[in-house]
Amino acid sequence: MKAQEYDTPDGFYYTKDHEWVKVEKGICRIGITDYAQKSLHEVVFVDLPKLGRVSRTDSLGTVESVKAVSDYFAPVSGEIVEVNKTLENKPDLINKSPYGDGWIAIIRPTSLDSELTELMDSKKYSEFLRSLIEK
Amino acid sequence: MALKTQLFQYHEKHGHMFEFAGFQMPLWYEGIVTECLAVRNGVGVFDISHMGRIFISGPDAEKFLDHLTTNNVAALKPNHAQYTLICNNEGGIKDDLVVFKLEGRPYLVVCNAGNRAKDLAWISDNTRNYDVKIHETSNEVAMISIQGPKAASTVQKLTEVVLSSFTRFDCRFIKVGGQECVLSRTGYTGEDGFEVCIMNSSIDEPRQALSLWNDVLKAGGEFGIKPCGLGPRDVLRLEAGMSLYGRDITESADPLEARLDFVVKFEKGDFIGKEPMLRKRDQGVKRKRVGLKVVGKGIPRADCRILKDGKSVGTVTSGTFSPILNAGIAMGYVPSEYSNVGERLSIEVHGKSLEAEVTGFPFYDPKLYGFKRVQ
Repeated sequence: MKAQEYDTPDGFYYTKDHEWVKVEKGICRIGITDYAQKSLHEVVFVDLPKLGRVSRTDSLGTVESVKAVSDYFAPVSGEIVEVNKTLENKPDLINKSPYGDGWIAIIRPTSLDSELTELMDSKKYSEFLRSLIEK
Repeated sequence: MALKTQLFQYHEKHGHMFEFAGFQMPLWYEGIVTECLAVRNGVGVFDISHMGRIFISGPDAEKFLDHLTTNNVAALKPNHAQYTLICNNEGGIKDDLVVFKLEGRPYLVVCNAGNRAKDLAWISDNTRNYDVKIHETSNEVAMISIQGPKAASTVQKLTEVVLSSFTRFDCRFIKVGGQECVLSRTGYTGEDGFEVCIMNSSIDEPRQALSLWNDVLKAGGEFGIKPCGLGPRDVLRLEAGMSLYGRDITESADPLEARLDFVVKFEKGDFIGKEPMLRKRDQGVKRKRVGLKVVGKGIPRADCRILKDGKSVGTVTSGTFSPILNAGIAMGYVPSEYSNVGERLSIEVHGKSLEAEVTGFPFYDPKLYGFKRVQ
């Protein structure tokens, strides 16, 4: 799907802070959305999270362009088991492929079923984006 | 109410706009990193019409400027310009300027956008004992800057001045692209470059400014010229170690601690702020403006604390990411004992401590980048 010029693909869950979650065989891959990367423009640095336990809405780090800094938050609770080390040398993967190679971390979730109901699907997130842009 | 420059029409159509010093200006067109690299590797063009342009004429113009500014105006050769400061009565920096001595014409003073009203008032208030005329022309004269190793090849297509014998800080009243201009070999990026004041182009009738802007873009086409916003301008000047007024230099900093004393000529006679500055010099400079380069990852930002062994010793005044160094860089003031090149300090960013090293200016290797680069 798309909301104006922003991609909002199906099969992902979204937060109001513009993170996405993709559920893959018991783990959650997370990243920031196309809207978030376009707002930042050229990403030059990603402060990756540490491995270990996190709760939903915990600040995990920052994604930064030359002029802008954006915090990103844990979209689900659980344990961070992997981070995308490639972003250390290629932070622009976030711009090139926000839903693919620009993923940030993998979380092994602890309360996924209840937390997924707090997140938006592609349709809801697209509506949310449209309402943001119209403001 | 946001102000506009003569080139607003172009920016609005092509730029990512923001407000700076009350002006609606482009932050970038394609992207800050892209535009920085265009200037370091080829050529870029900036609208700098938001800056102030004041002409000073009359029999006492030279004497007046020597009283007002810290550099030696009497020593300035015709058709040459100099970087200088104006200071308040306590020796604090009121602004940094470039003074142009144009043969057979009034002096031209170019000041910072945010200081236009303040400087004009200060200049006017100090004319009492001098026979001078002050003519503020910022809204009638536009100004653009062409910067980068290919700047000369670009500008040469638009002027009869032989640029190979027009050296750094030279200036001339001359036609550029068929328009009456003040052309100078100056800039704020560390690269070779030119600044052009375009006469007879007012905010209401900006045809000549727009026309020259487009001529420059066309002339630089073969070198991949890019229009550049104030975002890349800020990164480029910081990489070059140049101060930004309002951040790195303010009225509460003096030229000695700001390390701008190379444009303070104590031997030239009296000037505003001289006595307090001399007293400070004799007492010893307690803090100094330094460059800090992050060792490892992370981007320092303005207002971050600078620490030595966990103790706060200063504040970052400017910080950014340098695309050519692929590292975070910053400027700030630290006690003199920690200001030596190689000193290890840390910068607190988002609650984390980044290790940083005090470096000289410019941040880059001058053999690889900047106007002294080895071709």
